[in-house]
Amino acid sequence: MTAYLVRRLLALIPVLFWITVISFGVIKLAPGKPTDAAMAFNPKVSLEARQRMEQLYGLDQPVAMQYAKWLGRVVRLDFGRSFLDDRPVGRKIVERLPVTLTINLCSLLLVLFIAVPLGVRAAVRPGGAFDRWTTVFVFTGYATPSFWLALLCLAFFGVQLRWLPISGLHALDYESFPLIRQWLDTAWHLILPVTIAAFGGLAGVSRYMRSSMTEVLTQDYIRTARAKGLPERRVLFHHGLRNALLPIITILGLSLPDLIGGSVIAETIFSIPGMGRLFYEAVMARDYPVVMALVTVGAVLTMLGNLLADVAYAFADPRIRVGGQS
Amino acid sequence: MPQRRQRQPLSLVPLLALSLLVGPSGLSAQSSPNTGDAIVVSSIGDASRLLPILVSDASSGEIAGLLFNGLLKYNERLEIVGDLAESWTVSEDGLTMTFRLRPNIRWHDGAALTAEDVRFTYQKLIDPSVRTPFSSNYELIESVEVVDPLTIRVRYKEPFAPALESWMMGIIPKHLLEGQDLNTTPLLRRPIGHGPYRFVRWKTGELIELAANPDYFEHRPFIDRYLYRIIPDTATQFLELMTGGIDLSSLTPLQYRRQTDTPFVRRAYQKFRYPSFGFTYLGYNLQDARFRDVRVRQAINRAIDKQAIVEGVLYGLGEVATGPYPKASWAYDPAVQPEPYDLERAAALLAEAGWADRDGDGWLDKDGRPFRFTILTNQGNDVRRQVAELVQQQLKRLGIDVKIKVIEWSTFVHEFIDKRRFEAVLLGWSLARDPDLYDIFHSSKTKEGEYNFVGYASPEVDALLVQGRRTFDQQARARIYHDVHRRLYQDQPYTFLFVGDALPIVASRFRNVHTSPAGIGYNFIDWYAPPQEQRYKRLAP
Repeated sequence: MTAYLVRRLLALIPVLFWITVISFGVIKLAPGKPTDAAMAFNPKVSLEARQRMEQLYGLDQPVAMQYAKWLGRVVRLDFGRSFLDDRPVGRKIVERLPVTLTINLCSLLLVLFIAVPLGVRAAVRPGGAFDRWTTVFVFTGYATPSFWLALLCLAFFGVQLRWLPISGLHALDYESFPLIRQWLDTAWHLILPVTIAAFGGLAGVSRYMRSSMTEVLTQDYIRTARAKGLPERRVLFHHGLRNALLPIITILGLSLPDLIGGSVIAETIFSIPGMGRLFYEAVMARDYPVVMALVTVGAVLTMLGNLLADVAYAFADPRIRVGGQS
Repeated sequence: MPQRRQRQPLSLVPLLALSLLVGPSGLSAQSSPNTGDAIVVSSIGDASRLLPILVSDASSGEIAGLLFNGLLKYNERLEIVGDLAESWTVSEDGLTMTFRLRPNIRWHDGAALTAEDVRFTYQKLIDPSVRTPFSSNYELIESVEVVDPLTIRVRYKEPFAPALESWMMGIIPKHLLEGQDLNTTPLLRRPIGHGPYRFVRWKTGELIELAANPDYFEHRPFIDRYLYRIIPDTATQFLELMTGGIDLSSLTPLQYRRQTDTPFVRRAYQKFRYPSFGFTYLGYNLQDARFRDVRVRQAINRAIDKQAIVEGVLYGLGEVATGPYPKASWAYDPAVQPEPYDLERAAALLAEAGWADRDGDGWLDKDGRPFRFTILTNQGNDVRRQVAELVQQQLKRLGIDVKIKVIEWSTFVHEFIDKRRFEAVLLGWSLARDPDLYDIFHSSKTKEGEYNFVGYASPEVDALLVQGRRTFDQQARARIYHDVHRRLYQDQPYTFLFVGDALPIVASRFRNVHTSPAGIGYNFIDWYAPPQEQRYKRLAP
């Protein structure tokens, strides 16, 4: 097992290398320069001043050279400084990470909490009324543009009823609140962003759950269990669900990179300073160090997620355990 | 407990009582300003660096403007007056400026602000290792000399009138920044200034908080706290307005005219309207043989009904432009009258230039080729796209076939403007208060990346622009720029379309908010909220 893991981990390195080469190339091919936002089309900024600024940021060097320098820093885990505000990229990411992680974890838990029972229940009688109605429900969630739903919810719960806040993460005087109230305040601000993110994710998990459960329920061991006279609950949850959950493990592994990738649209509408907006703003401003750092971290997590899914699968399912176990 | 924003039911009795007090006879009830409360301002973007010489975006500029002052400033009538400088003189030949600082100005940390700080600011502005976008404004300076702790003398290599505006740059603290790398100093995120507000905290992407500076040299600002909330989505900003969550924001013409006409908004907010410092124009590539003929440009000017554009796109919230200056500016020449919308005259001018519909297909032609051109404009600006569509319809009546192409900003600038790959562009300039237009219309500014991209070259205008830069007397300058204005309108290198209105909206609890040629912010430190209407409690200092 250890040898297998090491082999898999080593195989990630060349993949990662090519991902960064391609990303660097793509972002460099995009028209525009990091100095544009501040200096292009401002008659008070002379051509010479702009050229000098490009030199200061090393943008006048050949692309291959810029990449080599970047790579040299990254292997020492230094992502450089943002062109936008000259702050270390690592700090900018760390600052945004907790919010995005919180929202994504909460919505993932909410999705599992709702979608797994929905899928199981639907699988008991595929094609039945419950199955059909939940299908309609979860696909409505999947198909509804989240920005539209978010704005409708804001207009209704925020403006009409005034039950929920419109934007932001904290009340204005959050700092002066006692701890408990700070928690409640944050939770109150997170209700809509989390719910809306979860609504869109129900379809995937509940459909996987349903099909996997349907398949499991046709297995011989389920018939055996029923023939033994076990109560239906026990058949479903002990013998059925445990086996049917295997594909969900894969989904969870694959959703690892999603946990740190925020949704630009939701974060923009709810005014949440998360990873999605960081990435979007960096791309728009051609802030190469931030873009490259996020792409690299995203790639690493995606690959680790795949690996994790495989390993977890092996642990959960003895049939696909690799090699001769000692 | 999460607090729900209270909807305040307005009962009639206190309202009546109030109106009796403040009513027509109640002039004495005009209470004197008082301190307290907070103002919540919304912005679509976060700030990035809060040292004035490194500011490169509007948000940073707004915040830094409250923390730092310059030697000079514009007053509400857009005249240059002293700010940190108590007085200043410009020598007869325009080569020497002497500034006398107000005594007793203190940095927020208590240190005294002196002429050394001014010289330090200048040194950093021209230091090639400092990433400031403003260095070009200080290139003509020969020396900056500290005469005594409160006097500073600046010598120029040649007289340069717009230089006065460059001394509105915020002064930075030498005692805190000396020996530091300005590009990465922690003061970029935790600035220490000397302005009406001092820095409190900055939660990236969320909020910047400032507090009134009790020692500010004019007087302590009345509003205790300034909260700058970053709300990137304009629809969300609008929803926040609808619940009273923000106190100061700006509206789109549609929001101003239609969507803010609710009882709640009428009660909770005051809306303002004044011409902005910018204009929208149709610019021609003057290397194109068709547009090189001034008659063609004049014909297009007459065939575009600008009033219809202002009505249709801006809901009337703007004014037809005849040149690059807003009416409130002393550089604006009121004698320049807009040519009336006149299709016949336009057609006659085009006929003179050789354009007529010879093959009867409805489009004008010359030498067998129809009059067809493309207007380029940038993505993300709906107003410009709509204006381009109206221009397209209007020129169709004249027999000119216009196509529209909307292009992403970076591509637009680098691939089309810089490389002169356009026939006509629909764009806008927002300009500084000084009327100098050298960078935009002087014939020397046509290199790739410079801003006379239409390729305008008029020896008369060139001479005037140079003269305007060398003249300090405002009346003499006004004559020069009136002449520039008139010639630009005759020559039509741009067809000036309109000046849009700035449309700020301010919570009605704030008093002393007035419009002026300079906008509403010029007397921000005088704004106040009466105690009974204050919304945010005072925090422990």
